[in-house]
Formats: sequence, C-alpha cells, structure tokens
Amino acid sequence: MVTGSDFVPTDDDIAIVAVSQTPAYRLWNDSEQMLIMRCVNDLLGSTGMDRNDVQFTIAGSCDYLSGAPFAFVSNIDGVGAWPPVYESHVEMDGAWALNEAWHRLMLGDIQTAFVIGSGKSSPGTPRHVFPLQTDPYTAAPLGLDYPSIAGLQANALINAGKATERDFAEVVARSRRAAMSNPNAQVSGDHSVDELLAKPHYSSPLRLHDLPPISDGAAAMIIARGKRALELTDRPVWIRGIDHRIESHHLGLRDLSSSPSTKLAGEKVGVHDGPVDVAELMVNFSHEEIILREALGLQDHPNVNPSGGPLSGHPIMATGLVRIIEVARRIIEGEAHRGVAHASSGPALQQNLVCVLEGGN
Amino acid sequence: MTDLSDLIHTIEYPYTRSTGPYLGPFLTGLRDGKLLANTVGGRTYCPPIEYNPESGEDAPATFTEVGPGAMVLGCTWVTDPSSKHPFSHPFAFAMLLADGADVPFVHAVDAGSPDAISAGTRVVAQYRDDRRGAITDVYFVPEAAAVDQSIEPGDEPVLITEHLISLVVREPLFPHRRRYAEGLLSGRLLGQRSPVSGKVVVPGRGYDNLNRVPLTEADELFVSDRGTVSSYTVLTPVQYYGQKETEPYIRCSILLDGTDSPIIGVDVRDIALESFRVGMRLQAVWRAPAERKVDGLDNRFGGSWEDVIERWEPTGEADIDPDSLKDYTW
Amino acid sequence: MAKPCAVIGIGQTKYKSKRIDVSLEGLVREAALRALADCELTFADIDAIVVGKAPDALEGVMMPELSLADALGAVGKPIHRVHTAGSVGASTAISGANLIESGRYERVLVVCYEKQSEGNATWALSGGRSGGQGAGGSFAPWIRTYITRSGAPEHIGWKVATKDRLNALKNPYAHLHLKDISIEKVRESPMLWDPLHYLESCPSSDGAAAIVLGSEAAAKKSPNKPAWVIAHAKRTEFGQFPGRDTVYVQAGVDCATELYKKAGITNPRRQIDCAEIYVPFSWYEPMWLEGHLIAPFNEGWKMTDSGATELGGDFPVNMSGGVLSSNPIGASGLIRCLEAANQVRGTAGEYQVDGAKVALGHAYGGAAQYFAMWIVSSELNPTFN
Repeated sequence: MVTGSDFVPTDDDIAIVAVSQTPAYRLWNDSEQMLIMRCVNDLLGSTGMDRNDVQFTIAGSCDYLSGAPFAFVSNIDGVGAWPPVYESHVEMDGAWALNEAWHRLMLGDIQTAFVIGSGKSSPGTPRHVFPLQTDPYTAAPLGLDYPSIAGLQANALINAGKATERDFAEVVARSRRAAMSNPNAQVSGDHSVDELLAKPHYSSPLRLHDLPPISDGAAAMIIARGKRALELTDRPVWIRGIDHRIESHHLGLRDLSSSPSTKLAGEKVGVHDGPVDVAELMVNFSHEEIILREALGLQDHPNVNPSGGPLSGHPIMATGLVRIIEVARRIIEGEAHRGVAHASSGPALQQNLVCVLEGGN
Repeated sequence: MTDLSDLIHTIEYPYTRSTGPYLGPFLTGLRDGKLLANTVGGRTYCPPIEYNPESGEDAPATFTEVGPGAMVLGCTWVTDPSSKHPFSHPFAFAMLLADGADVPFVHAVDAGSPDAISAGTRVVAQYRDDRRGAITDVYFVPEAAAVDQSIEPGDEPVLITEHLISLVVREPLFPHRRRYAEGLLSGRLLGQRSPVSGKVVVPGRGYDNLNRVPLTEADELFVSDRGTVSSYTVLTPVQYYGQKETEPYIRCSILLDGTDSPIIGVDVRDIALESFRVGMRLQAVWRAPAERKVDGLDNRFGGSWEDVIERWEPTGEADIDPDSLKDYTW
Repeated sequence: MAKPCAVIGIGQTKYKSKRIDVSLEGLVREAALRALADCELTFADIDAIVVGKAPDALEGVMMPELSLADALGAVGKPIHRVHTAGSVGASTAISGANLIESGRYERVLVVCYEKQSEGNATWALSGGRSGGQGAGGSFAPWIRTYITRSGAPEHIGWKVATKDRLNALKNPYAHLHLKDISIEKVRESPMLWDPLHYLESCPSSDGAAAIVLGSEAAAKKSPNKPAWVIAHAKRTEFGQFPGRDTVYVQAGVDCATELYKKAGITNPRRQIDCAEIYVPFSWYEPMWLEGHLIAPFNEGWKMTDSGATELGGDFPVNMSGGVLSSNPIGASGLIRCLEAANQVRGTAGEYQVDGAKVALGHAYGGAAQYFAMWIVSSELNPTFN
C-alpha cells in the first residue's frame, strides 16, 4: 500500500541516500570497529563514493556497554580518519547522531554525512550496567535494572486498564513471526500466544520473552542535501522531520502508562500529516509497543515493526538507528512511500525521538 | 601456564558521591531510621527534590518526616534477583507513596511471595542493622511483617554516600588476538602486514585502519624482537584505586626492526634512567617458556609485554639517528 | 545559509578539587542558573539543551543527560549528550551552535561538567587497571620529541606554568590560586612524567560551566552584549598509524586552517586578539601555537619566551588561568570557549584584554587527535585587514 504525496523536495531538504546494518549477533567475536567498517565499506560501495567525499561523520555509542572508557575513540578506526576528518560523537543511540547530522547539513556549507550507531552488549551484563542510568543516589545502588523498571511500567499499564498480559504476548508473537523474514534478526519463530502465556514470569507481569535479546551490532547511513542526494541515488528517502523529547527521570513524577514525550515529538514532526505506510518503533519490552502506538496514534495500524523490532535484535546504540533504516529500506524498495521511525533512550521510554521519512524525487 | 579462555576483567571503583543540601539530610535520615521529605509547589516529595519540577526553581531545603507506612501503587516481582539487588531471594520493586507524601518513589519490598503484594498493599519501612547513609539502608515489608526497631541516630551528617560499582566484563579473545597470544607464549611477536600498504603493525588490530581493510591470518608474520627506542617517559606512578606501582620507571615505544609502527607502553626497569635515550637499540630477553603468561592481555591494543618478556637489553649497536624516528613517537 | 549564533549568557561554578557541598544536580544547576541569570532568562525560555562531559566512568553515571534532565529544565524538550574525549567541552559548544545555526531553535542551553572527586580520572583513563600512565604519561614522550625537534630550552614549560597560574589569581572561579608561584617553584616541583614536573600539569577539578546560545533575534533582545560565533571547526585523526606525527598534528593544522578560512582570518597572530587554548601540560602552549598556525614551525616556544602570550603581550593566551589552573575535564573545553566569549563581551574582569574584539576558544583530546575550536567576536561581521 504505497501512497502518493505532493511533497516536492528542494536543495534544503535532506535525504537518506544509502543504508547498511550488520545482523544482530548474540556475540560478535571481533571488535566493534570491524562491525562499523563493514557498514562504512558497504555504504561507500553502494554509492560509489570515496571516503573523502563524505564531509561530516557522527557516531553514537556508549563506553559503558563494553566496559571500556574511551571505547568510542577506537571506533573511528572503522570509519576512517586519515587524512583528518570532520567528525563528532554522541554518547547516545545512533538515531541522535542522525538528529545532529540532519541539523548540521541544514547549514548548507556541506552536502553529505555519515551517521553511525554501534554497540557490543555481549561483554557486559546489561542488568548490571543499566542501573547506572538511574538516579545515582536513590536508585542506582538498588540495582534498579531495565527488566524491573519495565515490569513496573507494564504493571502500571495493566492497572490503568490499558492492556493485559495477553496483549504483551501478542506483541511478542507478532514480532518474532515478522522476524522470520528478517535476515538481520537474532530471535525469530512462530509461537502461539497461549504457548507464550504458559511461560513463568520474569519481572511480573513480564516474561523472559517480553525482554529483548542481548546483541552486538552496528548500523550506518549516508545522508545528503537535495541536489547531492539526487546525484547519489535515484531512490532518496527524505527526512521530513525529526523531533525528540525527554521526560523526568523520577519515575514517581511520570504516568508510566503513557508516553507524552513520544506524543509531543510525533506532533512536532507531523506523523499524521500524510498517510503512514509503515512504522518501526523501538519496542525494548513488549508492553512498550502498546504505549508507543497510543502516543503516535497508531493503535490499529497493520504495519508496525515488520522487521520484528528490537525484540528480535537489540544492538544497543544502533537499535534506534536501525528503526530508521528499516523504514528507509522499505521506502527505497518501493514497499512504502511514507513512514515513521521511533527511537528511545533511558529506562521506561524516558526519552523518545520520532522521525518521518518520505520517498520521491 | 596460561589460559586462553574468556577474558574476564572487573571494572570496580568505590564512587564517593557528595550528597548536597537535599540528599544529605535525606540519607542522614535513613541512617537514623527516618524518611524525610520536602515540599515544593504544594507537593511533598520523598526523597526530597532539589528544584520545583514545574518551574525549575530551587526547592526549599527544609524537611518533614513522612512514613514509615507507605502504599503500594504498582509493583513487579523480581523472580531472579541480580547480584546488584538488595535481596538475593525473590522480592518486589514497587512504586511506593509514603504516608504524608504526594509523589511516589521506587524501592524494594521484601514481601515473601508475589501474592503478598499488589497495588493497594500497605507496607512499612524497615532499616538494616548496617546503615551507612545510603538508599540501601532502608527497605520495606508488608505491614503485617513489620517489626518495631529501635534505631540509634548517628553523630555526623551524611556528606558522602559511597557506591561501589563493580562490573564484570567477559569476552573471548578475538581470533587475531588469540593467535597473537599464542605467539607470545611461544616467544615470538606476531604482526600483521596490510596487503594494501605493505605496512607492518605489531600487534595487529585485525584491520588496516588507513585503508579500512580487514586483515586475516594470511596477512600475519612473525617480526623481530629487536628494535629502536622511538620515544619514552619516566613515570612516577600516580596513586589511585587498584594501582600497584610505586617506584619511577621508564615507559617507552620501540620500533621493532622491519615494522612500521612502534610497540607502545613498554616498561623498562633494568636500564639506568640517565642512560636511556631515543635511538637506543634494544633486544628482548624472553621469560622462560613456563613463566610466560598472557593473563594481562585484552582485546584492545596493548601488547602485554611484561608478562612474556623479562627485560630489554641494550644491544651495544650504534644508535639510530633520532631524526629518522620522528614519525614513530607513539 | 547558516543563521547567526551568539553567546548571550555565561555561567561557571567555582572550580575546586572537591565540591562536597553539592550533588551532581546541584553542581550543574549552579552553572546553568548563572548562565540564565546572565541573560535574564529562565529554563522556560530554553528550546533545547546540550550536555557534554568526558567518560561516564569518571562519575559512574551512565548517559547522565537522563538523570540530569529535570535539574536542567529539560523535561518536555530536546536534550542530547556529546562526548569527544578532552575536546568535548568545545565540541558541545559547537553542537549547540549548530542547533541555532540550523534556524530551528532560538535559545539553546549548553552545559558541561565533571565531578572528578566522585571517582578517579587516572583510574578511569587506565580502564580500571593497574599501571595506568594517565594523560601525562601519554603526552610526555611527545613533549620530549617537541623539545628535541624545536631546540626549545627547558624553561619554556616552567614559564607557561607560571604565567597561567599568575593569570588564575585574577580569576575568582579558578581552582588553583597559587599566590607564591614562580619559575623556581615549578622547576623544583617533583618530576612526574619526565620532562613534565608536577606544577606543569593540570589539577583534578570538580566544576560545571554553561552558556546560553541565541539566534540573532534572541541576541538583540538580550540585556547584555553578545559574543558572536563567527566560525567553528572540528577535525579528528586516528590515534595511531604508521608514520603519524604526534607533535605537529595534521588534524590540528587542518582544523585551524578551516577555522581561519571560515572566519576570514588570514593572519591569526595579528587578527586574533587573544586565545584560550587547551593546555593541560605546560608545553602544549608552544606546541599548539605552532600546530594551529599562530607561530611558525619550531618557533612557538620563541613566542612564549618573548612574553607575547602573557596578559599585556600581543597575543595573550589563557588569560583566565587555563586548564593548568582548573580542569573539570568535560567542562574544560567549554570554559575555553566561554572565556573567549568573556573577552569579546568585555566581561572578563581583572583578566580582560583591553579592546579584545576577536578571540579563539580551543580544545583537544584523545591522543592529541580530536580538535574543536571556535572564534567569537564582538561584531557579527568583523572585517580583517
């Protein structure tokens, strides 16, 4: 179901011209730099560009994942930085690197940028690492981990009468089934909802299958301004808008059963200013899909997370950028004309980014 | 003897957090068996908050006691506690509204079984015997399980709360690092030669970053264990948590013969500081095979020289012109 | 097409070895509220927030923009976190400037901090292992190479260390106030990383710094004089590869070349009035004077030796006391950028350079491989001749 639009891009519009991602690996037994290098070489190959033709580079990664301060410094080995390059780094998911690159290209003096997200979660124990994102005085020393916070949020959703455990299982069943046709997925399979519901709780009301897998992986794209984008591809994917918003880190100050930051970001980028053919949402835990669909007005949308989403592969720090790539890929391949991608950061969907993409030249 | 199985490294530090004028009194209160709150914008916060979340203005640093009772607003049952959790047996994390407060917070409830806790359950604060001015001084139990505690207040206010963060990192040696480690154990230095530039680097990184080319076993070669000092410093060890060094020593870079990038971070302890210089020729003296180990080797770029090489000896050859080494200062 | 951007508010905390009187939230708020007060704004007036700091392991707080969002008035707004090693403070300022220059935001709050006393930087830089050499151990061999290559006399490093500490006496926010500092004291201080003495090294500080960046319209409405951001540039190169020159670093040369070109500067020594350069170890003053094309190759030390970089010289460097006097790592680059702004706004107090119109703010990081710089001016479109 591909829909038309009257959008006519100008040179001030910015497009994704090439995308690349590695599979999500349970354990990638080599360096993060090698994962990045694969994506970068893939992008240069597919666009026919030389490394020096790409005028700006920005990456998103997190030192704490692999337990090595300054890990991001080594990552530039994979990107290429000789002769010296114009480059930056956010300690965030690659989706936020895209946000910065998009703003940077708006200035008009440079035409092209690499955007990269990468992470290896396998060396550490995410349940031990991620409590360090919570309040350092009143929460982190309790080891307040993602699965527990997700359990609290899923419980809030049930207490608010917005969902049942069956709804969570349905998200899992659909995601894993969708992942069967995704070559980059780490977890996939055909499961009945009843079979899933028969499993024991892990952090109630969530079960282990409501949690994402632990993954290693990388993703990258090249974006370009109007004219240059049309030189580089005949299937540009235009970035119609990116917005991101954060909520309080005090869980007690939030209504955990909703996501006002996603809703606000979605309104700012005009999610429903045109038809939504596909949506990829960063559903880290199954119940989050219900919250995010509501926030974005996609409650009954038939095409959410056709890749299987993060429940089928979760290379943290690339996961959000992968959502944008999955939407872009479908537009490039003509399966969709306009789509919505979402990325999140922090526990219980604390921070959310929404991106609207559209095809056409 | 040595082990080439998974690398295991613990990143551990006892962080000392200054608590400031809001959390300090709160954590002092916990140590003394009290839940303290402050009120801003007409709402009472436990734990206290430093600013009005609506306006961003500073909140008053005046405190009232709330609790010890609290209401569960929501919860999750943790069936498989992590080693960082307050209990080693299953328990609940719950959103708790302390009596007298308006804003809930998350804490742990030792409820015994998942059936004993749900929204609406009444719980009571309990304090640990070993209290140190930290959020872990307190926990909660269902009302019926609460016991009366007599708690002796401490003397000094809590200005610092300590958080020992200890993370275990575990991963296999990457394949090229494993081959490098095997080389070290056999008394040989394995390098990688880029098929594009022909440059030889020791240890190899598994790729040539200048040309973005992955390197494989076919690109590997053993290189000389003799070379030239290309730069150095004398380190006076800075004392920090986990530091074992105490005496000044030389740390240098050595450009091994036939290679194009120096080995770096090589410790030298048997050559007089005064006679050490750039351009000096050195030869590795290996430890006996049984004494070689590679436990210190990780997947980053270090070479673990000290664990396999006993010392570096001057060869007595004429020095190399330092000017010719200026591009090898790493 | 880039829209004009100006620094309209500046705030700093007192830098100290241990700011035991505040939490992390309290520390960043102190700087942020001062920057807002400087432009008579509140958090409600801010459109977006950018946070910068060095590795999370320094405080043991992962992705701290999450737990600091409330304290910085960011709830309901965009906030993002930059990390480019030692250059991060300047990179964060530039990241904020990009948001204004894109035309999408009117007022952006940029906050950088480090609370080194929560943890230990040398521990973190060593990846939590014994035998770490710290930053000084990494840079010392290159400093030695510079000395050999340029033929600089050894007193140059002592001179820089003394000058910056004397300047710091005029800056109430500076960490080190060494009233009796002298070349002799520096020379006699213990040798830490040969050839670097203890007093030639930066301290370990707690502290935060903040700026409010505004669009042209926001700057015109602002009560105090703006510092216009007339150019910025960044460059990165690999830390290690065969044939790398770690002393005269190509990325630093390229970064400066790009910066001056964008600003319209053809003679930096003459056309820039003063500079805040990231000098964590004394010798990096002459090294970057050369490496950023302000002094001829191998002659940076002569410029330092001549007194040109002193307050009152023709090219004052680190008037505020620099990194040698205050080093809250993640904030140090932003402090360089905002002190450059202080000079062109005329708000530098006792260390004001008379009539400064154009100033350079600079930071570098990693293995001297990350560079971020900006030039600020009292005028939106300064002309150079």
